[in-house]
Amino acid sequence: MGLSIGIDVGGTKIAAGVVGADGKIGARSHRDTPATSVDETAQAIIDAAAELIAEHKVEAVGIGAAGFVSADRSTVLFAPNLAWRDEPLGERVGAALGVPVVVENDANAAAWGEFAFGAAKDVEHMVCLTVGTGIGGGVVIDGELLRGAHGVAAELGHMRVVPGGHRCGCGARGCWEQYASGSALVREGRALAESGSLAAAQMLSVCGITDSSELSGPMITKAAAAGDPCAVELLDDLGRWLGEGLASIATLFDPSTIVIGGGVSAAKQLLVKSAQVAFEKNLPARSNRPHPSFGLAELGNDAGIIGAADLARRRESAR
Amino acid sequence: MALTQALTIGIDIGGTKVAAGVVDPEGNILDRLRRDTPTKDPKETEDAIAETVRDLESRHDVIAVGIGAAGFVDGTRSSVLFAPHLAWRHEPLRDAVERRLGLPVVVENDANAAAWSEWRFGGGQGESHLVCVTLGTGIGGAILNDGALQRGKFGIAGEFGHMQVVPGGHRCECGNRGCWEQYASGNALTREARELALSGSPVAHNLLRRADGDPRNINGPMVTELAKDGDPVAVELLEDVGRWLGIGLANLAAALDPGTFVIGGGVSDAGELLLAPAREAFKRTLTGRGFRPEARIVRAVLGPEAGLVGAADLAREEATWLRRVRVKTSAVTAKTAARSGRSARLERVARKTAGRRTGMRVPEPESLKEPTEFELKEPAELKGDTEA
Repeated sequence: MGLSIGIDVGGTKIAAGVVGADGKIGARSHRDTPATSVDETAQAIIDAAAELIAEHKVEAVGIGAAGFVSADRSTVLFAPNLAWRDEPLGERVGAALGVPVVVENDANAAAWGEFAFGAAKDVEHMVCLTVGTGIGGGVVIDGELLRGAHGVAAELGHMRVVPGGHRCGCGARGCWEQYASGSALVREGRALAESGSLAAAQMLSVCGITDSSELSGPMITKAAAAGDPCAVELLDDLGRWLGEGLASIATLFDPSTIVIGGGVSAAKQLLVKSAQVAFEKNLPARSNRPHPSFGLAELGNDAGIIGAADLARRRESAR
Repeated sequence: MALTQALTIGIDIGGTKVAAGVVDPEGNILDRLRRDTPTKDPKETEDAIAETVRDLESRHDVIAVGIGAAGFVDGTRSSVLFAPHLAWRHEPLRDAVERRLGLPVVVENDANAAAWSEWRFGGGQGESHLVCVTLGTGIGGAILNDGALQRGKFGIAGEFGHMQVVPGGHRCECGNRGCWEQYASGNALTREARELALSGSPVAHNLLRRADGDPRNINGPMVTELAKDGDPVAVELLEDVGRWLGIGLANLAAALDPGTFVIGGGVSDAGELLLAPAREAFKRTLTGRGFRPEARIVRAVLGPEAGLVGAADLAREEATWLRRVRVKTSAVTAKTAARSGRSARLERVARKTAGRRTGMRVPEPESLKEPTEFELKEPAELKGDTEA
């Protein structure tokens, strides 16, 4: 089986790679994301792919994009950070490149990467969370990616966990990603520092900053790894929200493995342990059922590229 | 007798009643039996099942038995891991009953069985992505993708009633707080109605009078009846339950993106009094609303016998399947092989094949192979057995 290209379209960067049937990335290319213009974004994607196609013979191109992707995997119905509205991205890029194109939700693509080649390669029922600015979800049931009736399933970050809670960009309140994401971590850290807490002041000095507005997620993770109690607590709170939400999600899907990836997962066991403890405490009828295992994502930032490429190849070979 | 006309028995085992019936391939119930559920001793429950089947069998020629049980049924559909209202703990129900009856037996979660019949004969016909929610004492759930029940790794997927919707909310029997079924079930309706009546509020006057002055007499059907008569407070109580229903459905839509939600169970007798506010709350809380297609929310059409009919129909599927195709799990890649039973994919394949067949022809192994993301390895190992 030949090569395919996977492209991860993020809010700031477009990352592409040539991926083999073994899930390994060969050559890569990058472009900045021109977020304001639909045409320029499509062109940047085409450029990134064309650069690789010029050097490699590829069968298909998979694009992972943040947003709602239609059930036929060609149209982006809506993207929160880009200007796409009912954008026929697959057709457009495919016509320019002369190669079949599959569009996937970015979290679905990353989840598929972990399922096919990463942390969940030995299981058939997986829930994968990409915890970054928000929460992206990907669900594999019986070896198949869950897409739903209209293509927009597994938007797990927008399950409501707190009635009347924090406002969310999706238009609702109390979405899970307002409590268990990198944004939530930073919001809580800053709020604590602004409250005048001495523990938070110590955390800021460990981070080497004086102004709480400079605080970032990676800083908190680093401080926690260095043993700062305040940072450890912040991650612990985040982990608890994660675990409680996952307990609800386990009632839906009954997975054998839960994989946690994304930028926040750099906190590794500081996050996963507290998530698992909260999960075990909140799983309904917990003493009378098998429990899923927890694992960290293994493919890092490449998960989206690998997953998108593999999904594109699989669709071509199924034709 | 051709298998396509064969009868099966469906048994719905609830916390208080065992309802059984002889069901034909079109989902019609030809004969019924009801009895109390012996809840304390697993053996007694088995006895009750066996007696019920023998009774019905004496009047009808049946080929298999399906049991719908309120509880966690394992991935191989042979054991009940746990049942909240019965004495079953890791009870190997299928084998025990099969031994006693000499008939193929299928054990299925009751909400799954009910959903199956709604998909086959009821409100979910033709829907490729169906989610069924059964509102009774609690909330039962089921997911059907392309006509395959989603069971998860351990057989216990679709337990929606225990999604947490309120942190630190009402206590639930499952051990948690704030489960959805504490807000959008028959129990929730009754609890809220009693609390209102107990508060002495004049708005609950009608309600209290209907309950002969004692709030403890209030139950869900009573509230529904009053609401249908136009009593404003009963209408509000159902609205509140409907709103929680819609909020939970929006969560499910974020995760599952179904084409249709079918709402069944006793509380759904309230019809639009429940579903209209549910739709409104759903539309108001759905993530990405306005930028996505939205699921329909419809009422179940089969009523309280859906579970019985579904269990019987699943038993027919299984019996038909068993006779016609023997698939060894070893013939499948490790990824797709399901535990010690069949994978949902194989079931789906078999079902499609069975659907195409009209007579007793054994399918060619190749016809079991469909071009998918995972391939069935070594199709030659898929052996088709003709019926003895």
